[in-house]
Amino acid sequence: MIPRWARDGRVLVGLVLLAGVLAVALLAPLLAGMAPDEQDLLATLLPASWQEGGDAAHWLGTDSLGRDVFARLLYGARVALTVAAIAAPGAMIAGTLAALLAGYLGGWFDWLVGRAVDVWMSFPPVILSLILMVGLGTGTRNVIFAIMLVDWTRFCRVLRAEVLVVARRDYVTAAGLVGFGHLRILVREVFPAIVPLLITLLTLEMGIAVVVEAILSFVGLGVKPDEVAWGQMIADGRSTIYQAPFNLLAPVVAIFVTVAGFNLLGDGLRRSLDVRLLEGRG
Amino acid sequence: MTLLRAEGLNVTARIGPLTVPALRDLNLSLAPGKVLGLVGESGAGKSMVGRAIAQMLPPGFTVSGRGLHFAGQDLLTMPAGDRRALLGRQIAFIPQEPLSALNPVRTIGSQFGEHLRRVGVADWRAAAIAALASVHLPDPAGLLERYPHQLSGGMCQRVLIAMAFASKPALVIADEPTTALDVTIQARIIGVMRELQQLHDTAVLFITHDLRLAAEVCDEIAVLYAGGVVEHGPAEVVLNEPLHPYTKCLLLSAPEIHGPRRGLYTLPEQMPGLRALAEIPGCRFAPRCPLARESCRNAPALLLLKEAHRVACPYPGEVASINAGPPAAAPEVTAGEILVDVRGLGKTFRTGTPFKRRAVAAVRDVNFTLHAGEFLGVVGESGSGKSTLARLLMGLERPTAGEIRLAGSDVSRWDGAARRTRLQTAQMVFQDPQSALNPRRRVASIVTQALEAAGVPAAMREAKAAEILADLGMPPELGSRFPNQLSGGQRQRVNIGRALCLVPKLLVADEIVSGLDVSVQAQLLALLARLREEHRFALLLISHDLAVVRYLCERVMVMQRGVVVEQGRTDEVFANPQHPYTKELLEAVPKG
Repeated sequence: MIPRWARDGRVLVGLVLLAGVLAVALLAPLLAGMAPDEQDLLATLLPASWQEGGDAAHWLGTDSLGRDVFARLLYGARVALTVAAIAAPGAMIAGTLAALLAGYLGGWFDWLVGRAVDVWMSFPPVILSLILMVGLGTGTRNVIFAIMLVDWTRFCRVLRAEVLVVARRDYVTAAGLVGFGHLRILVREVFPAIVPLLITLLTLEMGIAVVVEAILSFVGLGVKPDEVAWGQMIADGRSTIYQAPFNLLAPVVAIFVTVAGFNLLGDGLRRSLDVRLLEGRG
Repeated sequence: MTLLRAEGLNVTARIGPLTVPALRDLNLSLAPGKVLGLVGESGAGKSMVGRAIAQMLPPGFTVSGRGLHFAGQDLLTMPAGDRRALLGRQIAFIPQEPLSALNPVRTIGSQFGEHLRRVGVADWRAAAIAALASVHLPDPAGLLERYPHQLSGGMCQRVLIAMAFASKPALVIADEPTTALDVTIQARIIGVMRELQQLHDTAVLFITHDLRLAAEVCDEIAVLYAGGVVEHGPAEVVLNEPLHPYTKCLLLSAPEIHGPRRGLYTLPEQMPGLRALAEIPGCRFAPRCPLARESCRNAPALLLLKEAHRVACPYPGEVASINAGPPAAAPEVTAGEILVDVRGLGKTFRTGTPFKRRAVAAVRDVNFTLHAGEFLGVVGESGSGKSTLARLLMGLERPTAGEIRLAGSDVSRWDGAARRTRLQTAQMVFQDPQSALNPRRRVASIVTQALEAAGVPAAMREAKAAEILADLGMPPELGSRFPNQLSGGQRQRVNIGRALCLVPKLLVADEIVSGLDVSVQAQLLALLARLREEHRFALLLISHDLAVVRYLCERVMVMQRGVVVEQGRTDEVFANPQHPYTKELLEAVPKG
């Protein structure tokens, strides 16, 4: 029996797109044929191989330092997916812990978390992460850290509302009456109820992390200059868009495909896992 | 002369590839000025009749038949526009949930005015005030300026009744108009409805699950089972000399508030769902019928005519032989051991803003004792503090005054020792199994949750789960199901089973049979009586249904606005109530 979420068209398309990006990231050294930072200053700003003046060795052309765009594109997927795979779960863990405790305990702790989220979310998220990057310095690890610090609130706000609803159910009270302690109630009764929502939010957050990383790299506050990221490529290609359009277009399409994959997956999961929809159907 | 006549009315539901008749070959007629009761348990199709008249069926349902005539016109064939013109003017509705039927952001006057202008009343304000006065609402002019949430449920329902009768319709369809209301308010609502009905000589189609209420209100009664009328006749005849086994069983399965105590008849299983109906060839009641024989399972039942009394059963002569048996004997309570001792218990809730504090006393100065093995009923209307009392006993609320002693130790303190005493002594059964059962746990895991808390290994829990399920009268394979795969009655059993897992000395049950069909309620009451013999626990049963308390409990406590106004032996209190509120409660119960 195939679970219902796996039969949703959105989920399948999303998974296929993401599997493609993941395969490209893992197999980058095999597929690229050359290192992404290998410079050829005699062959800068080459157009794509099928265009006039193109070189068969550089399928998508080269950038202003003569580096192969195709190789950089493949290696860029590694940074994007690393950030998505670490920053999103990190933000999720922080946000979920805060949401569980705030929604379950209530009282002053809930008030404190609620106000912290309000203040946090009143900053535009990109500006906040830019400020954080200025303080932390560039590098993949700091990008991940900045995204976690900014985006835990997305999880916290939505999950807290869900925890509030679940914690008021009689079965949570009943668990306390048969002798469950608070920790066990949280782990065994409350947490399983929010898992479907959690998975959905996590998937969407991965897409957001990819975009945020690209923005930070675009303004030069993301990864270190010797690392390869799609945002950097866009920044580089921006000034030479007429000579070598694929310098700009290729990373834009890559970001689009990756984020679309995460969003389709998240949207499909939301539709097939949403507790309220399921309970409504009986 | 008939006002409404249904001839061979069918409502068909399409479920996936199946087409199932939700209403089958329904024949009804209603004369002007008469009240016809449609009685049945949930799933009988009684609301479908009203919906078919209004042509407001759920998606996937279609209506057909030889005719559905209203005042000489066929509602099935007339253009939708003409039918809409009839609705609200000639045919009016009284809904089940008064609060959700009124728009919360508009005043009563604005909604009433809109309705009256639509039906063509020029001076709508005067007409609305007159209509509201006719349902005995105080200060009708002031009421027009108020919003629905400022009124009680009973007042909202009276507003809706006033609206329904305002256009002087020929037919009013009332779909469970009092189900959501307290019993004393129900009596008032029914009184108001009767008064207007007689004043305007209106025909009423009264849809209800309560056979006794129907008998009190209606001239004629049609009993529905699984989409078909099984018995139809004058109200008194149907109530006193039922000729269909289902009607008889239904009457016997509800406990009574008057007369000698008797046992309850427990029908097995429950009414088949729409999907299952397709697979029952003959009489649809046959699988549960005590009189069923081979011929019932094959030939579709015929409608026998006996003057004005029609019955869909070929063996009406045998119905009188169905009996409920003697009442479950209450075990002798050893007067010595006091299990619960409550003295001067009070709970005051503080609400409002820091600037304007309000104190609401939910429970005031409650004193009672409960002996080991004794069943005590707590009755009262919503808001009387019954549920707060239960929560105080279970330690879910902290008392603001007084003392609770459970099995000899003071549990009104708020510490670990009190919590341990409570865990070992008392358990609670919650009202709504939908909310009380974790939808992600299997049944076996729910009923053994107390063992999981105590750290008992899984294999032993598994064995205990099978034991508990057998105790609850459920087959062991249900243990691997999830709660939403069970029927309402089964869910409530699981709910009870979880509380009984560690065999507590005290069970606190909050409205555990309300909202269930009478046949399912009878099964649960029988279960409680049987479990009591096996496990000898004491029960604090909170209920708004006096008959249930009378059936199950030796002693009763009547609460009003947080205060216990009367307590004593159930038979004495019900036979000879002292407090005016107890008298009012008892008088409000429909006698049939």
